[in-house]
Amino acid sequence: MNGDMPTGFASWLAHERSCDAGIDWLDARRRNAAERVREQGVPSSRDEGWRYTNLKGLLEQGFLQPDEPITALQPDDLEEVLVPGLASHRVILVNGRFVPELSLLEDLPPGVRVSGLASLLASDPDVLKDRLNAVAGDDLALFAALNTAGLDDGVVALVDRGVLLERPIELIHVSVGLDEPRVAQPRNVIVLGAGAQAIVIERYLSLGDSLYCTNCVTEVSLGRDAVLKHDRIQTESPSAFHISGLYLRQDANSRYLGVNLGLGARWARTDLNATFGGEHAECDLQGLYLAGDGQLMDYHLDVDHSVPNCASRENFKGILYGKGRAVFDGRVFVAQDAQKTDAAMSNRNLMLSESAEVDTKPQLEINADDVKCSHGTTVGQIEPEMLFYLRSRGISAPLARRMLCLGFAGEIIERLSAEALRDQVSELVGQRLESAPLS
Amino acid sequence: MLSVKGLRANVGDKEILRGLDFEVGPGEVHAIMGPNGSGKSTFAHVLSGREGYEVTAGSVTFEGKDLLALEPEERAQLGLFLAFQYPVELPGVNNTYFLKAALNSIRKARGEEELDAVSFLRLIKERLKILHLDDSLLKRAVNAGFSGGEKKRNEIFQMALLEPKLAILDETDSGLDIDALRVVADGVNALRSAERSMIVVTHYQRLLDYIQPDHVHVLSKGRIIRSGGKELALELEEKGYGWIDAEGQAA
Ligand SMILES: Nc1ncnc2c1ncn2[C@@H]1O[C@H](COP(=O)(O)OP(=O)(O)OP(=O)(O)O)[C@@H](O)[C@H]1O
Ligand SMILES: [Mg+2]
Repeated sequence: MNGDMPTGFASWLAHERSCDAGIDWLDARRRNAAERVREQGVPSSRDEGWRYTNLKGLLEQGFLQPDEPITALQPDDLEEVLVPGLASHRVILVNGRFVPELSLLEDLPPGVRVSGLASLLASDPDVLKDRLNAVAGDDLALFAALNTAGLDDGVVALVDRGVLLERPIELIHVSVGLDEPRVAQPRNVIVLGAGAQAIVIERYLSLGDSLYCTNCVTEVSLGRDAVLKHDRIQTESPSAFHISGLYLRQDANSRYLGVNLGLGARWARTDLNATFGGEHAECDLQGLYLAGDGQLMDYHLDVDHSVPNCASRENFKGILYGKGRAVFDGRVFVAQDAQKTDAAMSNRNLMLSESAEVDTKPQLEINADDVKCSHGTTVGQIEPEMLFYLRSRGISAPLARRMLCLGFAGEIIERLSAEALRDQVSELVGQRLESAPLS
Repeated sequence: MLSVKGLRANVGDKEILRGLDFEVGPGEVHAIMGPNGSGKSTFAHVLSGREGYEVTAGSVTFEGKDLLALEPEERAQLGLFLAFQYPVELPGVNNTYFLKAALNSIRKARGEEELDAVSFLRLIKERLKILHLDDSLLKRAVNAGFSGGEKKRNEIFQMALLEPKLAILDETDSGLDIDALRVVADGVNALRSAERSMIVVTHYQRLLDYIQPDHVHVLSKGRIIRSGGKELALELEEKGYGWIDAEGQAA
């Protein structure tokens, strides 16, 4: 099946899967996904969506999928992985695979099911038949197709109708360096039934600064009136490649409040896709990224207003320093009969050096006439007035710059769902800026 | 304490300060008055080290040091404080965090220990009371969305916290209602001491009723054209600046 895979990707799929249960519908989906990979091949810079990105660096790594369960993470390592003071129902995955011994799922209330994807496919595959790949669909983009073709493990979180889950579900994706560079392709499936409310925190991080690739896909489906707070925090190793696809589908009256933080990795490509299946739903996508020397933070948003009366917010902020680069490619589509759509997209960038670079391209495609849509972008520097005000109070120039950057980032950080998380992220951003060159 | 001699400064190729001489001794309060555009704020900015001004002649010594050679933060650490005519809004920068960073930066530079969270909070609560400011301001971003009066009071509050040796108050009274003016003036007076000096820039005699200056100066077209005691302010209030200009011309 992998015979004529594009060079560079073949090795991503050449492995023994931990969930080959001979499930017909699953095999069909994998085959279709592999076909999609073959059809699309390796995109070039002539392809819209890949204009600013060169995949050569990724492909020449020859990443392999891990072929055996990883036990490298010991309970002692947990301290490095956990957020102090954050109480959660926690799922730990190491190099893409669910590690039940390190996870903490005993206290889940009735009506909430959280399990490893592979083990659920082995024990109760029917639960997933209408849920796995349901939001991402068959017409998969390249990396989502790779993730599906190589489907191996991940997390499934199902919150039944009407259940209000208090404590967050935390999905911790840890990468541990191995002898050979590996690609992990976890799949997260989050489903909230009608009227359910939950918080999901999705984190990607590493122990050490080794080279690896994460190609994750998260599918989120919200029933009528459901509310999901979803924090996605990427702090991968500085040598890592991180590719992330979010596929979101919202029924009527549901609310999605998402915060995307891109703080690590050498190249992080994030695709956020949102669609509405009913009216009066609200989708809020907030983002913050930091890019320094050798880093590219690459965002592609696609919000599809095909239903009337829905609202979406896309608010992304970036801090760039050294030779850091970022791409913000935001698209909001409003269908002809999606009247009363309310959409506002904004991308603001703070440039701390002359050699940093950002390509920002917000696009509104509006086909309805009674809508409220806006977009705005800024690319600016720290205001000298503000810097002087702080310095006139005795604060050194580097600290003053850092304070202003944190002030800029604060608008996004403060939306994270837990104080423990906000504290940790503020500190991390502060540290990153402390080591940033000032020109 | 502060000695300014023959100070000339440009913005672009426009000369704003044209040979300014000014002496302040310990504990003295000097008022500077003068028409709009005469260079009062420019003088305050040059003293505090703001960019964009080119000093072409003259010297400034503060506490025996060449002030003009120092970075703005070094000047503040040495004990200079400017209450801005237009305080700057810092969206997203928490006021408490800002005050703590400022105070500890100054303490560190002086070789003092940084204050821990508890003693710091005790100190700000105490100083807030002097300025009749509400605690809630501490949780907000610095000056962001503050009313004009709150901004001005916040400046004096910062001064109360940082305890400078020389404070320059640039039109701290403008935009304050009568009650707020009294509160600010009381705050300033509470900070007067034999070691602490002040330069009070104002257009109005009213402030000087509350903060009694030792000396009053008139700045016009970038120079001090008249100095006197506090009765000079009264005379100005009555006759306007035209009076001195005319006298100057006649002489
Ligand atoms: N950055 C600048 N660029 C151009 N001109 C400037 C700048 N700063 C000051 N000036 C000019 O310098 C002159 C003095 O301004 P300054 O603000 O010092 O006056 P001031 O005495 O404080 O007036 P006011 O009483 O209105 O506050 C004015 O003519 C002003 O326009
Ligand atoms: Mg002025």
